[in-house]
Order: sequence, then structure tokens, then C-alpha cells
Amino acid sequence: MRREPDGTLVPMLATDWKYNADRTKLTLTIRSGVTFTDGTPVNAEAVKVNLDRFRTGNGPDAKKLSRVENVETQGESTVVLTLSDRDPSLLENLGNSAGFIASPTAIEAGNIGTDPVGSGPYTLDTANSVDGSEYTYVKNPDYWDESLQKYDTIVIKQFNDTTSMLNALLSGQIDAGPLTPNTAEQAKNAGMTEYRYSTDWQGLLIFDRDGTKIPALKDPRVRQAINYAIDKKALLDQVLNGYGTVTSQILPPSADGFAPDLDTAYPYDPEKARKLLADAGYADGFAVEMPTVSGLFPQALVAGLGKYLGDVGIDVRWQPIQVADLVASLAQGKYAMSWYSLFQGSAWVTATQVILPDAIYNPFHSSTPEVAATLQKLQDGDDAQQAAAATDLNAEMTEQAWFAPFYRKDEVYFTAAGTTTKPQAQQVVPSIYNFAPAQ
Amino acid sequence: MISFITRRLAAGVVVLFAVSTVTFFLLYFSSANVAREILGDNATAEQVELKKKALGLDQPLMSRYWAWLKDALQGQFGASWFSGRSVTDSIMSRLPATMSVVLVTIIVVAIVSVLIGVAAAVRRGWVDRGLQVVSISGAAVPQFVVAIVIVSVFAIRLRWFPATGYERWSDGPGLWAASITLPVLALTVSGVASTAQQVRSSTIKVLEMDYIRTLRSRGLGSSEVLFRHALRGASPAGLTVLSLHFISILGGVVVIEQIFALPGIGFLALESTTRGDMPVLMGVVVYTVILVVVINLLVDLAVGWLNPKARVS
Repeated sequence: MRREPDGTLVPMLATDWKYNADRTKLTLTIRSGVTFTDGTPVNAEAVKVNLDRFRTGNGPDAKKLSRVENVETQGESTVVLTLSDRDPSLLENLGNSAGFIASPTAIEAGNIGTDPVGSGPYTLDTANSVDGSEYTYVKNPDYWDESLQKYDTIVIKQFNDTTSMLNALLSGQIDAGPLTPNTAEQAKNAGMTEYRYSTDWQGLLIFDRDGTKIPALKDPRVRQAINYAIDKKALLDQVLNGYGTVTSQILPPSADGFAPDLDTAYPYDPEKARKLLADAGYADGFAVEMPTVSGLFPQALVAGLGKYLGDVGIDVRWQPIQVADLVASLAQGKYAMSWYSLFQGSAWVTATQVILPDAIYNPFHSSTPEVAATLQKLQDGDDAQQAAAATDLNAEMTEQAWFAPFYRKDEVYFTAAGTTTKPQAQQVVPSIYNFAPAQ
Repeated sequence: MISFITRRLAAGVVVLFAVSTVTFFLLYFSSANVAREILGDNATAEQVELKKKALGLDQPLMSRYWAWLKDALQGQFGASWFSGRSVTDSIMSRLPATMSVVLVTIIVVAIVSVLIGVAAAVRRGWVDRGLQVVSISGAAVPQFVVAIVIVSVFAIRLRWFPATGYERWSDGPGLWAASITLPVLALTVSGVASTAQQVRSSTIKVLEMDYIRTLRSRGLGSSEVLFRHALRGASPAGLTVLSLHFISILGGVVVIEQIFALPGIGFLALESTTRGDMPVLMGVVVYTVILVVVINLLVDLAVGWLNPKARVS
């Protein structure tokens, strides 16, 4: 299935999908008459091979299909996925990398990683591609939906540096690319079209809600004090040139459960922060170690954060670590809290990322009976119950201050004259289908 | 001559062994979390353990080192932990960009330095003073600043050259030349600054030597004295500086490849260092050391050819 720019799923290789009553079996109908570019037919068997390979191959996203227990085919064009447990984000995942289908013949041959064979609107032209630098795609002449082929050739270039990407845009070498708040001004002055949308929220993850490492963090008042202590607007202006929206909640406006008034739940109020700390018995404050990664954590942020927390008596001791060690250190619970930038998905995607007891960014496995009950409803309820549970969860997270969100960061994407695009919900870079020559 | 080359090659092998061993052991300590890095945020602890096992990261340090060494001696560097692509293929696909830029830079630096250095030595006066100013400012301005200025003028404003990217020779020599012009220019500035000074002072020294005076007293034309005799005597010093400079150009090319988005070795090294992609990084180290050893050997041979005395010492 394919995700439209707003996130709605529309038919692609799967023409239809249907859950059984308790949402533990998903039946997919596969489009007939489609073949991979090597001639292998796209059928139920090919889909099964790919889904099985994805969930057992120990790849980066294998967890996206971890609740799929069994995949079986029924005839040429029906695939049934049996789940071990309900998975509210399964369809979304199938509309993303978990649903990418490659030719079983090419998978069998073993070189699918360097010589991809799919059934999509474009094929990789390996002769005109340099690994890690430039990839050329040409129109697949046998593709079934011409409306998805707006170009004859698409070249994707890889840049590791925003300045060189800006240069390539300004000099007319590329037609579109993501920039940063610091480079946006130059692109705007050169007459490029700007697209702004948010995919991530940034702020503090207060992991140690049980007080294992820092007893003070067990008290919700202390965590709320942290929220009040930080001038989010000033940080946003300093760190991202104001490219973002100040918030105190972790859900995005596109998700069920988003509540506009929670954006302002914790205004900057150091007095109140000090009072809350005193009420909790920490009038003299406490010290906390937080990691910082040079190049990844903005300097203005590290300086500002240290100052704001220091002002109310929380002594931040920064531990410089390597970027390669960051995720592992957070996941292992080495730090009681940390600044981070996190993807904003649906309430359930957020839960699997930061709230469920086994979520990677819940390293101390915190839970309360109330949160557990809400999560259960979020997973098992019907659509209306899930939406209500999302609202409850968001309110609980904000009230209990499991996090101290600062802002939703704006992504800035630019196209040159002659090209248009549409931002794709929950993606930094729009999908290839969203680009078109300007009319 | 043969024993000279053999001795140099033997020394090169020792250097190669030492550098790669030290690198391997240093990387060992930074590769503790690479399995998590490969699998990303979504992976579970069990997945990470499986990945570690698959990469051999659960093995003791020495057995990992022996396994690597045994393969490396047979020219096998394995595959990238991240992309799964063969390390040798990746390096081979990226050598052309780096070597194009580095070699052309060295040639340009050599020619320009000799021209400016000799002119300054012979003419002195304002040419000489001009060289001093250019040298000092050329050495003082960082390469990336030069690069950024060059891009904004020649690529963005004038659009004479592409701002980023590399075109292969097979795509057309004109395209190839255009794609490396700005990177070469950026690297040349600092190269000329240091090399021209050397050429100047050694030319002055040679011109003051007795044999030049003797040649002059015999009535040889001044241009013949300069180009046939004096330059030959002065060039070894310039060449030696150039061979030392080669290593710094190779270092500078990392930054230049980043700014110009060139698919080169430096870019690959940087990328694999930040990710902890050990097989790629080890491959890059081995190939780079071989390159440095070979280039230095060639320079030594050229010096020996120009100046027979150097061969004996």
C-alpha cells in the first residue's frame, strides 16, 4: 500500500486489506498481472517471501513486523498475516519500508542488496550510479500506473554536508533538497520555494521516573519543575532560528490524542520551578549527568539548557560521548535523562518508541497502573476507544512529566523553479511520488 | 638501485603492518556499540546480540585480529557492516575521484611552484616580495575557507564550474576536468604557498654555488645555466617538499571532498569513521598507506635520477 502525502493509505500492490473482528488476522489482496522487472510475477507467494524475510532477517526495521506470527498464502492473490497480538501501527508500517516487495528470484540469487529488482515505477541504473554518492533511476516501461511516473529519469545525490547541498541547489545542480534553518535564508533569497513541516519533537527524556539513579526524579513535582525551568521559546530562537513550534506534549497535530492546549502546559516560570522543587524537598537542587555529542547536540542548546536548569538549582554535568555510543547508552539506562530528537508518529508508534515498558527509550521500564491501563486500551480498543485512549495517554504523559518537550522542529525542504513537491506526513524527505514538474 | 628499492619497499611493509595493527586495536575500543548503530532505534536487545554474533564482535580481540590479518594478507577486506558492499569494490569506485584531485593538484602545485619560485629567485625584487605575501597568506587561510570562497564565486555566481560532484573520465574528459577544477584550485593554493618558498630558497642556494659560477664564467647563456644546471640541482629539495606535501594534500582532500560532495576515499573514511564501519575503515587505511609508500618511493626515485648523490646516501 502507498501512503498519500497526508498519510492516508491507498492501494498499491495490495489492492485491498481487511482485519478480522478482533484484529489479529489481516487479509491482503494482491494486484494481479504485475511482474517484477526481471519477469518474476508479483503474487501472494512473492509477498510472503518478502514479509518473512523482513521479519526474520534481523535488519534495522525487523521490529516493525515483530507482532506478525505467521504469513500464509491463499491462492495466487491472497495473503493472510496472523498476529501474536494486536498491532495498531501494522498498516502504517506496511505502507512504509516493511511493505517494500522485491523479486524473490533476485533475493534467491543473493545480490539484492547491491542489485535491487522490484516492480516499482523506476529501476536503478547501476551503470550510472556510484554507491554512496549518486543513484540514477529510469522509468520502468512496463509499470501499471503511469500517473506515478512523472519523470523519465530521477537522480538522487547523497550529500553529507548541508553547505554542499545548498551549493548544489543554488548552482542549479539539483532541483530539490532538505536544508536547515541556518541555510534556509540563503535558499529563500535565491528564489527557491520553501516547504515547512514537522516530523520530530526535541526536548528532554526524563528516563529515571522511578528514581533509580537520581531519587529526586521519582517525584512528579521535580519533573514538572524541569518543564517550568526551561525557556523553550528562547531555545527555539537560539538553536533553530525559530523554525519550530513550542510545545509541552509529545504527540503531533496529525495524531489522535493531540491537544492544542497542551502545547502551553508548562510556560517558562523559574519561580514556580523553584517552588515545586522546594515542595518536593529539593530546595537545594541536585546534580544530574547528561550526555552530549559534539556535532549532534547544538552548542547553543547545551549552553542554554545548562543555564536554565542551573538557575533553579539543578546542576547539569555534561558527559561528552561519541555519536556511535549515544543510542546504546540511552537504551542501556546509563543516563537518568537526556536531550534528544524523536520522531512523532501516531499515539501507538509513540508508545512503542518511548512509553511501553519494553520501548527502547524507556530504559528503566517505567510504568504505572494508570499508564498500563491506557496503553491496553490504545492497543485493544476499537477506533473510538483508541482515540480516547490516545487523549488520555497524552494528558497523563504531560501531567506526570515523563518528558520535558521543548518544541516540534520544522523541517525545511526547498525546490528550485521548475519543480514542485508535497511534504509527506512523518517523513523528512517527501516520497518520490510527491514530486512533479511545475506547471 | 635494486637494493635501494627493496629496502624502501621493506620499510613500507613494516609501516603498513604497524599502522594497520594500531588502527585495528584502536578501533576495537570504539566498536562496542556498532551492532546497535547498524540496527537502529527499533531493534530489541536480542536482535543486537544476534547482530554482534553475526559480525564476530563476540569474539576475543586477538582472534578477531588474526582473522582480519589472514584475510587482509590475501587481499580480502570483507564487506561493509552497513551496506553489505564489498570493501574493495567501494574503495575502487572511490579511488578515481580522490586520485584525480590529488594527482592533478600535485602536478599543478609542482609546475606553479617552480615557475613562481624560480622567478622569485632569479628576479628577486617585487616578484620575490609578492611571493612572500602570497605564501604567508596562502598558508594562513584554511583550505575550507578558500574552497567556500571559490565555490560561491565560480560555481554559484558565475556558474563556470559545477559546485559539487565528480564526473568520470569516461563520461567525457571535459566534464571530468570541469568537475575537479575547483577542488584542485582549493588544494593548490596552500600547496603552492609552501612549495614555492622551498623552490625559491634552494634555487638561490644553487645559483650561488661554485659550479654555477664556473659555468657562467665559461660563457654559457643565463637561461641555459638556469634550466639545464641550476634547476636540476635545486629540484630535489622541491620534490622532497612535494612528497611530504602529498600526505597533507591527502589529508586536506577529506575536507575538500566533503565541501564538493566528491565520492572519494576521504568521504568514505569520514563516513565509516562516524558510523564505526570497521571493515571499510581498515580497507581505507591499508590502501592509503600503500598509496603514500608508493608515491614516496616514486619521488625518491625521481630525486635519485636528478641527483645521483642521493642514491648513495
